[in-house]
Amino acid sequence: RAFWGGRSRKEEKEVAADRAVPEKEERSEPSLLCPPPCSRSYLPPEDLQSRLESCVREVFGPSLPKDWQQTPLGENRLKHRLLARLAAELGHAVPNSQLHQMRCAGDVLGFYRMPVKDGTTFDELAAAELPPNLKIVWQQ
Amino acid sequence: MTGRGSPSRFLAAVLHNGVGRYVRQLQRLQLLFSPTAADARGARQFVEEAAQDFARQHPDVVLYVSPHSGPGQAPVLRAEYLNGTVREELVASRTSEEIVQLATKLANQSGLDIIRIRKPFHTDNPSIQGQWHPLTNKPSILTVQGPRLQPQ
Repeated sequence: RAFWGGRSRKEEKEVAADRAVPEKEERSEPSLLCPPPCSRSYLPPEDLQSRLESCVREVFGPSLPKDWQQTPLGENRLKHRLLARLAAELGHAVPNSQLHQMRCAGDVLGFYRMPVKDGTTFDELAAAELPPNLKIVWQQ
Repeated sequence: MTGRGSPSRFLAAVLHNGVGRYVRQLQRLQLLFSPTAADARGARQFVEEAAQDFARQHPDVVLYVSPHSGPGQAPVLRAEYLNGTVREELVASRTSEEIVQLATKLANQSGLDIIRIRKPFHTDNPSIQGQWHPLTNKPSILTVQGPRLQPQ
């Protein structure tokens, strides 16, 4: 649902109030009046695995099994430390609803491998190559 | 019991379509829906998955996809035909496959009214050799008009 760019009523009221302000101000200082929403897009970096491995070794110290991906995240303190460090480093945090699924370092690696797209599906569709008789008019 | 209360028409094709070339009578399809309403979920899925295939299979129909203007409007599929007929179909709470079937059905229709058809057949040439009448195959003297033949 988030992909379709639905705005809540509160945001719509704010935008309407902002539009009441004369447009000249908006043109000169667009960033202050209508700041663009922070983009949630995330692309996994190329050296993701090495970064994750180094983080895991830092946090867990000596108590690591042979394969670092099998490290259990049972202890909450270490788990929080690891996930907070990764979120700060990569700019993308594990949402609360998926915390219980992160049981070993391999799960965390799988999560950070998935990219997150920003923008509505419609914007992507409109930008993609469409057959000439399909017109998507989407101005919002 | 009778059909006189409701309108009716004879079977016809628009401009004898199909006798020679066939021209699809559907000109354009407009899909209007809200990006967030719950009943427009099928419409959104249709646009994401099936709209491009439909557009490729029907290259002579233009498909417009646009957001609905106004709050709380139901998603609608509007079909415009070459003879000016505009037909609106509600697609609220319909799945993507149902919308595909509906669009195909609208594409195969002509824009003529959907009312009772009096006869399931129609022809411009009902008789080749001439319609029979009581004086067919009778001596033509019966049709001669003029002074009466003298009784012999």
